[in-house]
Amino acid sequence: MPAALQFSSVSKRYDSGYEAIEGISFTVEPRRFISIVGPSGCGKSTVLNLAAGLLTASAGRVEVFGEPLAGLNRRAAYLFQQDALLPWKSVLDNAALGLELRGRAPDAAQDWLRRVGLEAFSTRYPHELSGGMRKRVALAQCLAVQPDLLLMDEPFSALDIHTRLRMEQELLDWVGTAGTTVLFITHDLEEAIALSDEVLVLSAGPRSHLVGRYEIDLPRPRPLLDLKTEPRFAEIYRAIWHDLRGEVIRALGDHPGGKAHG
Amino acid sequence: MARSIHPRVLAGRIVVAVVFIGLWEGGARLGWLDPFFFSRPSAVMSRVWQQLAEGTVWPHLGITVVEAALSFVLGSVAGIAAGFVLGRSRLLGDIFGPYIQIANSLPRVVLAPIFLLWFGLGIWSKVALGVTVVFFIVFFNTLKGVREVNPVLLDNARMLGATERQLVRHVLLPSALAWIFSSLEISVGMSIIAAVVGEYLGSTQGIGYLIAQAEGVFDTTGVFAGMVFLAAFVLVVAAVVGRVERRLLHWRPRPAETPQA
Repeated sequence: MPAALQFSSVSKRYDSGYEAIEGISFTVEPRRFISIVGPSGCGKSTVLNLAAGLLTASAGRVEVFGEPLAGLNRRAAYLFQQDALLPWKSVLDNAALGLELRGRAPDAAQDWLRRVGLEAFSTRYPHELSGGMRKRVALAQCLAVQPDLLLMDEPFSALDIHTRLRMEQELLDWVGTAGTTVLFITHDLEEAIALSDEVLVLSAGPRSHLVGRYEIDLPRPRPLLDLKTEPRFAEIYRAIWHDLRGEVIRALGDHPGGKAHG
Repeated sequence: MARSIHPRVLAGRIVVAVVFIGLWEGGARLGWLDPFFFSRPSAVMSRVWQQLAEGTVWPHLGITVVEAALSFVLGSVAGIAAGFVLGRSRLLGDIFGPYIQIANSLPRVVLAPIFLLWFGLGIWSKVALGVTVVFFIVFFNTLKGVREVNPVLLDNARMLGATERQLVRHVLLPSALAWIFSSLEISVGMSIIAAVVGEYLGSTQGIGYLIAQAEGVFDTTGVFAGMVFLAAFVLVVAAVVGRVERRLLHWRPRPAETPQA
């Protein structure tokens, strides 16, 4: 089976002349959970948007299940960092949006709403839900179309710490049972290690490149509440942080005052 | 879903009306205001009543309503369509942008005589005038509504498989609807004004014609009576538009949920 996603020496230079990433190569095998971590402004989102087909590479090749990517990635679903639910549609209509656009029945959406625990809120509107609930609806929307690849851009960064831990645990259960391939972007190394099979470290921008690649050999299923106190977790964390630390310092040095962007 | 009016607001409105009408009526009766120039509220209302009872006003009101309705519908449909096309296509927007600005800067009143020549004394010269007014209001609001759609909503819908048509239906139109509606409220009033101005400048029927006739013989009571019919008409139409808007935008947080003074 070909890789779900393959980047071969991919670079992206924006029209403004800004070179976000340079010569990035990695492979996402089916049913794997891969995270990309890096300091703020390192071009993590650029990588994800290239994988989604929302951006096109300036150089290099992006392949999806063995085919060169042209236009939008039709086999992927994208969970955005920002709220992307349509405020004028009910919870159920939002969850079923992908199915409706493809002319399919909304049964799978109802099913996913039940799994994310929001069946009772089907007829509500997004503004009546909390941030965590809206994320669940967005996740149900993505998973209802049964994507071969799930792209996630810091999906939980706006949530409070407890909601976040719960969402991470549930995400692991859901993608575990559905066998979904995931490419996950975060600046939080603990989150990346806890969730992933493999963590890729991106250097500070501009011209970000991959500086490290770590196989996470923690056994599954992973109980996240206790995972972070395990010695093996700390060991992995120290090893990756060794690489990441330098990049974070470089990113801060480039932007005195520590102003984050991108 | 009727909006309830706060008793204090209602009381305030009644006080304003009573004071205004009372001063006018009293001033005219006490000789401070010359009834020839200012008429009297009681005389105006009895004229309104007389015209209603005799039924002479209905054909004129009907003509004005038809003109305003036609210019409102044609102008808004054209404005919404043009707003969507130019809002979605940067190229077309850039090409037509300056021409639309030029056309919009023309004072409509100077167009009225030209439309009279082109379309005659009947309703179509008034409709043409109304369309030129309504079109631009709706067009600019639709354009803004379409251009200010949250790009994340668009990307999300596209990733879920939306075609351009589906984007319009599920994302762009609902998103621009709030903008479009605020322009429709203004347009309703403007389409009526355009109809009356058109009639005033040259016609054989309509409320504007009645007002022009009354002015021609210095009949101020007749002029004010015409205005009363217009005001009543505008209030009814505004209430209808408000109802439709609340129905179509029912997904928005209710204003009642936000704290009010």
